[in-house]
Amino acid sequence: MVCMPPLEYFPVIDVGPLMKGLVIGGLGIFHVFLAQFAIGGGMLLSYLQWLHMRGTCRLARRFADDYFKMLVLVSFVLGAVTGVAMWFTSIQVSPRTIATMVREFHWVWATEWTFFCLEVVAGYLFYRYGPRLADPARLQLLLLYSAASWMSLFWINGILSWQLTPGAWLESHDVWAGFFNPGFLPSLIFRTISAAAIAALAACVLVNAVGGFNREERHELVAVCARPLVAMLAMPLVGAWYLATMPADSRGWTTGGSVPMTLFLTMAVGSSTLVGLYAVVAILRQRLYVNGATATLLLALAFAATAGGEFVREGVRKPFTIREYLYSNSIARDGIEQLRQRGSATDDPYPLRDAAAYPNAQLVLGAKVFRVQCSVCHTLEGMNAVCDLAATWSIDQRRLNIAQLQRTKPFMPPFAGTPAEVEAVVQLIGWIRAGKPRAWEQTHDASVLEQIGRWLDEAGTGPGDPQLAAAEPSR
Amino acid sequence: MNAAIPFGLPGATAFYLTLYLATFVVHMVFMHYVLAGATYLACGRLMGRARCAACEWQGILLDWLPFATGLAITAGVAPLLFVQMLYGREFATANLLLSHRWMAIMPVLIVCFYLLYLQKSAWISRRPWVWRPLVAVVVCVGFLFIALSWTENHLLMLDHAAWPRLYESGGLRYKSPGLLPRLAVWFFLAFPSLAIELAWQGRLTGVGIDATPQPGTGLSPVRRLALTAGAGLVGCATAGLLYWSTLPAAVRTAVAGPLAGPWLAMLGAALVVQAAVWLIAAIRGRLSSPLLLVATGGWIVGLVAVALVREAIRLNSVDVAASAASLAAALRIGGLPVFLVFAVLNAAAIVWCIRTVRATAR
Repeated sequence: MVCMPPLEYFPVIDVGPLMKGLVIGGLGIFHVFLAQFAIGGGMLLSYLQWLHMRGTCRLARRFADDYFKMLVLVSFVLGAVTGVAMWFTSIQVSPRTIATMVREFHWVWATEWTFFCLEVVAGYLFYRYGPRLADPARLQLLLLYSAASWMSLFWINGILSWQLTPGAWLESHDVWAGFFNPGFLPSLIFRTISAAAIAALAACVLVNAVGGFNREERHELVAVCARPLVAMLAMPLVGAWYLATMPADSRGWTTGGSVPMTLFLTMAVGSSTLVGLYAVVAILRQRLYVNGATATLLLALAFAATAGGEFVREGVRKPFTIREYLYSNSIARDGIEQLRQRGSATDDPYPLRDAAAYPNAQLVLGAKVFRVQCSVCHTLEGMNAVCDLAATWSIDQRRLNIAQLQRTKPFMPPFAGTPAEVEAVVQLIGWIRAGKPRAWEQTHDASVLEQIGRWLDEAGTGPGDPQLAAAEPSR
Repeated sequence: MNAAIPFGLPGATAFYLTLYLATFVVHMVFMHYVLAGATYLACGRLMGRARCAACEWQGILLDWLPFATGLAITAGVAPLLFVQMLYGREFATANLLLSHRWMAIMPVLIVCFYLLYLQKSAWISRRPWVWRPLVAVVVCVGFLFIALSWTENHLLMLDHAAWPRLYESGGLRYKSPGLLPRLAVWFFLAFPSLAIELAWQGRLTGVGIDATPQPGTGLSPVRRLALTAGAGLVGCATAGLLYWSTLPAAVRTAVAGPLAGPWLAMLGAALVVQAAVWLIAAIRGRLSSPLLLVATGGWIVGLVAVALVREAIRLNSVDVAASAASLAAALRIGGLPVFLVFAVLNAAAIVWCIRTVRATAR
């Protein structure tokens, strides 16, 4: 095992007043929605082809060809490119996190890639030759396409769920212990149901959008395509299972501990409930017709559910990006002590872009510390701005709250620097709150630094949650 | 190192480098088709409707470019994975330094991808002719921008000294004397690849590649390919010499020495073989199967050799000894057998798909 350094220095990007998390979150939600549409689409099309071959749906083959064209145009282009973009965006936001994921799971990722290749070839052959192929060959191609796309979910799901529930990997660093982690199965089943539901709703939209079907035919197709929505009945159970596998502190965020997390979970649950109720009661039980507007609204609700769910999945990992291993600011859990001695900005080779704008060296240090430790989630004056969050704090409160960051908010990582770095950040906030005057006096009070040092020692180097803090850090 | 790469490298480094190179060569096969194909199509469209109609290759490109783009992206995922294993710090740093400018390749790629579908749609065929060259040129410029960005990213990876300076300046462009010559090498290298690929496509899809052209419609199909390949080979060799002159003397000595000297010679021989085949084809006006096989052999050897030379240049700027321990540790992480099993199974499934479709469609 090669030991991780406490921190690796990369040039930190600036996305202006936006939070970096929003950039990757927005793209991630979009990509997940498209990917799940592709996975569910494959399953739905296989089902339609099978119905056609059994002679129980005379329109299935024709509609399958229309559906696949849309699948290719949406999933093969936007889905594929946003997938690569996710990788690049992850590098932009947290290069160390993605590097760790690549290192630990590169063979899993390489395996997933072989399924991508199969998915693209089988899919494109169906798109190009499907209308000319005999039914058995069509079904075989569609089954291969569906299996390949679902397997890509299988592999990536293991990596993503590992970030929150690494399980026995923390002890053994065994790739399969990490892959088949406690969250793996419920997450896989939940995502499979979501994929089936999204594809069914997209089919309802498409039935109304493509020409060539009369009202009666559209009604028949809606009734057939909506059948996978029945799987949504299992969502509450699987969702509860997934919540149960979450670490207690993370689950706490979603059940009132963090207002945004609770709200986003409520949004996901509420949207899914509305879609599920409408699908089961109105479409499947009462066999009501779904027009284009209603189908689009249902699909939009499914998007909202995906957005809420993905936001929660990303958010509940705090204060970690890889649970109990790497903090959200990419500092190794067992590296805090070292950085408390050495300082987090001491070895940073990248100068500030606007160093001349700061009146003294202490503020320059504060800006560098902010860049290293805080900028992945916060801005100085934009969204989730530290200056706003600390606006009502007195100067000593700032010193205490930053030194004992993990106690101030349990989803914050511990401060990973020297007392002088805490003071530098405190002064930086004060200077910005004061309107960035041209002159700003440096503070040199040794007693202040001693007090900050005591506060840092009191809080310790572990996370804020007492149970988490007691756990042995993983190397 | 006194042996040609990857032989002189530590075991794990050599292993990952070989995987990287193998997957990168596969990516190049499709990427060359897309880059040169989009350029060929744009040039063809600019020559007017009559010439377009007489060129079989433009029809094939129009039809297959979207699929080839999908394959190029998919095939690019594996080298992207292994480049992060081998040069993670350098790759991430270059990405971050170029920041938004680098990330712009994603929306550009999406736009180009959709325009490729638009080019073959019924919608555009109902529009005035001017739409077609316009769309084709936009696609071509888009892919060139992506190629430029990758070249810039690659060169920035190698220039460690420039990193803090570039970051401090806030600039999102990396200027280097080698940038344009290197871009030109890769751009021109795509054309001999396209010529071979189109020749095979023509043969497999029954396009009469040895047909005599109708009077007034220009060159025969084979001569078009020979011209494309020849222009690419001359351009590539010229740009290669220019790029070579921009490399530091120490790098030139190292690359021309034991590190990549054999690969450099192999690359030269491969280019000469391809040039000879296309010259013969142009004179005869037809391309026999043996000649096509020889050209294909030269092409594949050339791609492998150019990838190795490219890597030798990179290894001169990257401390491989520093990453040897972490790569050795990474190799001990489980999962390789699973990858190998599924690689074989999925490759077999892909072959089965193609055979099934060919048999049924026939």
